[in-house]
Amino acid sequence: MASSVALFVPCYVDQFFPHVAIAALTVLERLGIQVDVPEGAACCGQPAANAGFAREGHSTIARFVDVYAPYERIIVLSGSCAVHVKQHAGEVAAHGGRTDSAGAGVAERTTEFCSYLHDELGVDWIAGLGATYNGCVAVHIGCHALRSLGLARPSELQVRPFDKVRALLGAVRGLEIAELTRPDECCGFGGTFAVGEPAVSTKMGRDKLRDITTHGAQAVVSTDMSCLMHLDGLARRERMGLPMYHVAEVLAGTAGTR
Amino acid sequence: MSATEQSARDAILAAVREARPPAVARVEAPAPTPMVGSSGRSLTDVFTAAAVASGADVTVCSRDDVARVIEAALAGARSVLSFSDFAPSRQCPPSDLHALAALDALVCDTTLGVAENGAVWIASSSDRLRAALFLAARVVVVVMEKDLVDDLHAAYARIDVRAHPFGAFVAGPSKTADIEQSLVIGAHGPKALSIVVVRT
Amino acid sequence: MTQRSFELPVVGAGPRVDHAAAAAAFNADVARTDWHDASLWFVREKRDRAAGAVPDWEALRDRASAIKEHALTHLDEYLVRFEENATQNGMQVHWARDADEHNRIVHGILSAAGARKLVKSKSMLTEECGLNPYLEARGIEVVDTDLGERIVQLRGEGPSHIVMPAIHLKKEEVGETFHDKLGTPAGLADPNALAGAAREHLRQRFLAADCTLTGINFAIAETGGFVVCTNEGNADLGMALAPIHIASVGIEKIIPRVEDLGVFLRLLARSATGQAVTAYSTHVHGPREGQALHVVLVDNGRTRQLAREEFWRSLKCIRCGACMNTCPIYRRSGGHSYGSTVPGPIGSVLTPGLDLDRYASLPFASTLCGSCTAVCPVKIDLDAQLFRWRQHVVESGKVSLVKRVAIDGSTRVFDRPRLFRVFGALARVGLRLLPAPLARRAAGAWGRTREAPVPPSQSFRSWYRHHRGGQG
Repeated sequence: MASSVALFVPCYVDQFFPHVAIAALTVLERLGIQVDVPEGAACCGQPAANAGFAREGHSTIARFVDVYAPYERIIVLSGSCAVHVKQHAGEVAAHGGRTDSAGAGVAERTTEFCSYLHDELGVDWIAGLGATYNGCVAVHIGCHALRSLGLARPSELQVRPFDKVRALLGAVRGLEIAELTRPDECCGFGGTFAVGEPAVSTKMGRDKLRDITTHGAQAVVSTDMSCLMHLDGLARRERMGLPMYHVAEVLAGTAGTR
Repeated sequence: MSATEQSARDAILAAVREARPPAVARVEAPAPTPMVGSSGRSLTDVFTAAAVASGADVTVCSRDDVARVIEAALAGARSVLSFSDFAPSRQCPPSDLHALAALDALVCDTTLGVAENGAVWIASSSDRLRAALFLAARVVVVVMEKDLVDDLHAAYARIDVRAHPFGAFVAGPSKTADIEQSLVIGAHGPKALSIVVVRT
Repeated sequence: MTQRSFELPVVGAGPRVDHAAAAAAFNADVARTDWHDASLWFVREKRDRAAGAVPDWEALRDRASAIKEHALTHLDEYLVRFEENATQNGMQVHWARDADEHNRIVHGILSAAGARKLVKSKSMLTEECGLNPYLEARGIEVVDTDLGERIVQLRGEGPSHIVMPAIHLKKEEVGETFHDKLGTPAGLADPNALAGAAREHLRQRFLAADCTLTGINFAIAETGGFVVCTNEGNADLGMALAPIHIASVGIEKIIPRVEDLGVFLRLLARSATGQAVTAYSTHVHGPREGQALHVVLVDNGRTRQLAREEFWRSLKCIRCGACMNTCPIYRRSGGHSYGSTVPGPIGSVLTPGLDLDRYASLPFASTLCGSCTAVCPVKIDLDAQLFRWRQHVVESGKVSLVKRVAIDGSTRVFDRPRLFRVFGALARVGLRLLPAPLARRAAGAWGRTREAPVPPSQSFRSWYRHHRGGQG
């Protein structure tokens, strides 16, 4: 196995938010991490699986396993894709005639961008990026990143509070964080939910935006571009003038420069 | 049991046996941290606060003052059914349970109060006490301070639920919030619960 | 593994539930949706405070889950032990395979005693069994006595929440209902006055009843007794006065020991309403003098759910309703939008097991945010079970149904070429399985309220080839 790190850029980030992937790559490279972005697996299979087509989407995650199996660390630029890989790549060995345990290994070695920075590089190292951002932002941690990957303490759990995303953003000079009334309420994207249940999805998004703007935030920073695609779509329709950034953009110093 | 019910019983048990997931062993977990023990407050203080939160009123008094405190809690009640040595019954309705609907107040003792939730354990084989506990307009309960325990785990370790056909943890008066979450005291049962804690 | 293969749920007669359509109708009144959401969130916050006050709350959840898993995996033994001990305590134990058998047993007890007036305290099981209409058709007067249940009964509705049955109604609406049915003054909308009127009205029914029916929160195998929890004291009035008491209970409600109650009662009310404990936690270990006490153990699909390797843990549920209060979809679509006795996340994993065809849309009424799983006092992996039900909906050949329920029908995308490009791209790279017409519909559902992302001049992949060509 190569001693190496791969970055997985999910399909929708690749297509719609290339600047976010560039920012993530930039951050990793500046931190001295040698990163590959291998070709051959555009998607992890999550959209299909969440829509109920996990069996049909199996070849997608099997391809993901094939492409990423050689890497020691697989950094996923999306909380929900990372969770999907961690929870379902292990099933690859049990399907499709495969007999090796490549899937389980890939699941084990897969992490999410912010988790990787916080857990494996450490906040002190991140501070070395010297990022600055002048303004007050709302932080939105995607639900899978929050509750499955443990990026912060979900408000439901009665355990000691922690928040890895805030810890990372604490290394950004000038950045203020607005306190929301419901800091970890789902934004309402939910993959096909956004189009399958458009009324509730829209209402959830609008409520989230109201929570964000009434607490003085002038931008939104998130771990997940899928949440932001939804929130940004609503905010632009309402002409709210509320920019949205991935954590990687803030750390790379490219937030607000486009 | 009818033949139909016998076959239903057999069918359900057979289906359960067929369906049973792989056995999960019973885990004897250590008892959780006692609430009061970890709070640094006295059992009586914690009990009082919890009982008040449940809508009860609580008076802590010495043994000499119990009768007076009960009388004050009765708030001029005319008909009183008492199962406590600290207070006499008066103008009690006849023995028919339904007649207890006219009862102003019930007084009874308890052998257990639970600090974590302010509940008192009322267990009895008396159908009159049981009916009065829910029909009376107000209920007064006397508990000895030494009979307060930390939490429900401690409570269950002390009581025998089989001793009587009826036993209840009672926390405050009856209440409902079924209309727009507005708390209304006195839904079907008593509109007031007074607890007298006797220093021991 | 001793698990049998997945058994396809039966196909029922009811109309298919279209959660998305019902939710859209609910959301048409924005102010009301906000009000409903805020009401439930208020309860969620109370739950957080109550849970936070208990040291080792998370350990208590672990323990509750472990007890339930142990009980369910030894359910036959505990059922038999409960029956033995309950019989010794003077109770008559009945067994019902399904709703119809349950209703016939209850009616049989009533008619054998010549009983005509039944007061019920809240029992989701009898809702599930459709007991009220069954008995009413046979001349029995059935009065639901829980205030919320009575309100919806008078309105001819079902409960919209398993703990707060009338949470969807405003006090003015309750006032109108009471004015019509109970003769309270027109315009009366004060909760205290309305509850007072219900108290008087129901007190008469309690005193006149010749039978009471209650649910059971916990049936104790070790002692043959059971526990009923209420705040109103309605179950207790019925049990303390009526000459006959029937207690209906799903077979999954058995717990092994008395000491287990310490775990469950600490969790139940705190999770449900944020109270430390309900006003009354009543333990019954036999009939009153001269009273007949019947316990009806009901299967009605529970053994089928127990046989499903992926879903049996849903039977751990203690019916606290916390998953509803926290669910962002429930809060913004109302309990009736689920079209099932038990709504919300737990309803969406239980009811597809009863009738997959009818409830196929429910597993999709979720963003899989996982908040339900995190509040559940018995740690049911609700979001994972919703995900698994989605697979079964598709695998059982209901793909066309999925298309219908999961994808909004609008085709306004033709007005929005950019949206189509976006969803076309998504369909190419990610949603390969969605045929082009479906991608178009998805774009329509997206675009009614949301702008599409602005397509960049080049994809990341293409940028990467240019700038890091040698590395990829």
